[in-house]
Amino acid sequence: MKNPRDDRQGPEIREPSRRHVLALGAAAASTVVTIKPAMAQTAASVLNCQIPVPAPEAAGSYVASDGSLVPPGTPGAVPPAMRPLTGEEAKQLLRGGPAPAGMDSQAAQAYANYIRRLQAGMSGFTCYASLQMPR
Amino acid sequence: MRHAIALRIGPASFRVGSSWRGPIEALAKLYDGYPAPDRASAFTVRLEPERPWRRWLRPSVAVGGDYVLPGASPLALEHGLLAAEMGMNLQMALGQRRHLLLHASTVERDGRALLMTGHSGAGKSTLAAILGERGWRLMGDEFALLDLGSGRLHPFPRAISLKNGAIALLETIVPQDRFGPMLEGTPKGTLRHLRPHAEAIARMNETAEPAMILFPRFGADLPAGVRPVGPAEAFVRLTQSSTNYVDLGEPAFVALTGLVRSVPACAIDYGDTETAIGLVGDLWRGRTS
Amino acid sequence: MPGSRYAADAPHLLRKVELDGLTALFHLPSGTTHILAPPAPEILAVLGEGPADADTLLDALRSRYALVEQEGERSALLARLAELEAAGLVQRA
Repeated sequence: MKNPRDDRQGPEIREPSRRHVLALGAAAASTVVTIKPAMAQTAASVLNCQIPVPAPEAAGSYVASDGSLVPPGTPGAVPPAMRPLTGEEAKQLLRGGPAPAGMDSQAAQAYANYIRRLQAGMSGFTCYASLQMPR
Repeated sequence: MRHAIALRIGPASFRVGSSWRGPIEALAKLYDGYPAPDRASAFTVRLEPERPWRRWLRPSVAVGGDYVLPGASPLALEHGLLAAEMGMNLQMALGQRRHLLLHASTVERDGRALLMTGHSGAGKSTLAAILGERGWRLMGDEFALLDLGSGRLHPFPRAISLKNGAIALLETIVPQDRFGPMLEGTPKGTLRHLRPHAEAIARMNETAEPAMILFPRFGADLPAGVRPVGPAEAFVRLTQSSTNYVDLGEPAFVALTGLVRSVPACAIDYGDTETAIGLVGDLWRGRTS
Repeated sequence: MPGSRYAADAPHLLRKVELDGLTALFHLPSGTTHILAPPAPEILAVLGEGPADADTLLDALRSRYALVEQEGERSALLARLAELEAAGLVQRA
């Protein structure tokens, strides 16, 4: 409905702007496009990163329960992880979640502490850092 | 890893470890003159055999590192340099969080940057390489880094990846000592790496304000053409050229909408490199401010 | 006969940027980006003020805008709402 004041305004009084034209479009029209990642594999980068325990630079060392690296066979220490932990697994573990399938829970705790001690420059550090980043 | 090298390229540092000496030696030669790495934020890249015996028997290089793409095919050892490049690209594509990453080449003049983006084969690396030898400063041939806060572009001047015909073209204008080995039969065809001009390396920390976006399209018989591209189309195309737009969330939305609203964009069609260089020059001179 | 009510997030949960006649929209709760053409942004703006069924929504649009007359405007509106629902920007309340 037209604004009833439109025809009666004096020249100095600013007219309210005319309502802009809007069309509802055809039933089959497309008015919403959702941006999807161009490469599906890059969509969840945390899933693509991994943390070897221990880092290859320290291959062979065992992992003590506090996460420090010790000589193989040290009492109370666990052997290296059979395979690197994925970013997702590490995230769950660091939040106190369950150990990944097939992983001994005591070993998983040692690995979690190892990850918490990762320093810049060590293999897996950037993966660990990206888990901390708030979205 | 038996052999290793640490490199800094723009804001990123890489530690590349390898079971073989060859790729590390090739990297050292190609990246001669690059500055010392910043240990605090180094990505790890590993070039390793898929199985232990593949270190010697038909050696093949699997690319590992902080970030991996599961299912990626390994490469022959003689293409180790390409494996290293792919490994570094992967760390950037998946791990870079301080910048919005766009698949684009970037060249700079008078503090203003030109972004050229498009699919592989569109010519963005070749055009950037040539412009880099004609008075422009090369900031990068593969990845453009858009700072989420300032909206400025940060250099990432890795060795330029030249393919097929572009190799011969650049060989006529750049001295041999800046080239890596000729790599034939790679998954990307024939490849040769080119170290950027010394000035590009010296100024790798100098950011620039984006001033123009181009979408080049190459076709052997394509007549030269220029078409303006509106901000909405440029925005959508750029999201598709980014490996981390979705991950970065709101700051990326703000940075990218800011970019397309402040910088004009054009699509250019060309059938040969000199025509493209000419179109770039015309458009650059004709732009406002 | 009133149909379902539709709801959209409040405006402070959206970031909108106009780009040559289209609206780029960042939806904070889901972290997704969408490009919207009219009348989608206008529909979201009305629903952002409070849930409404299709007829109420149609009336609101008619009073705020110069709605182009067309056949089947209710089914056109339902089609727009279905698109917005598929994108996660509108829910049935």
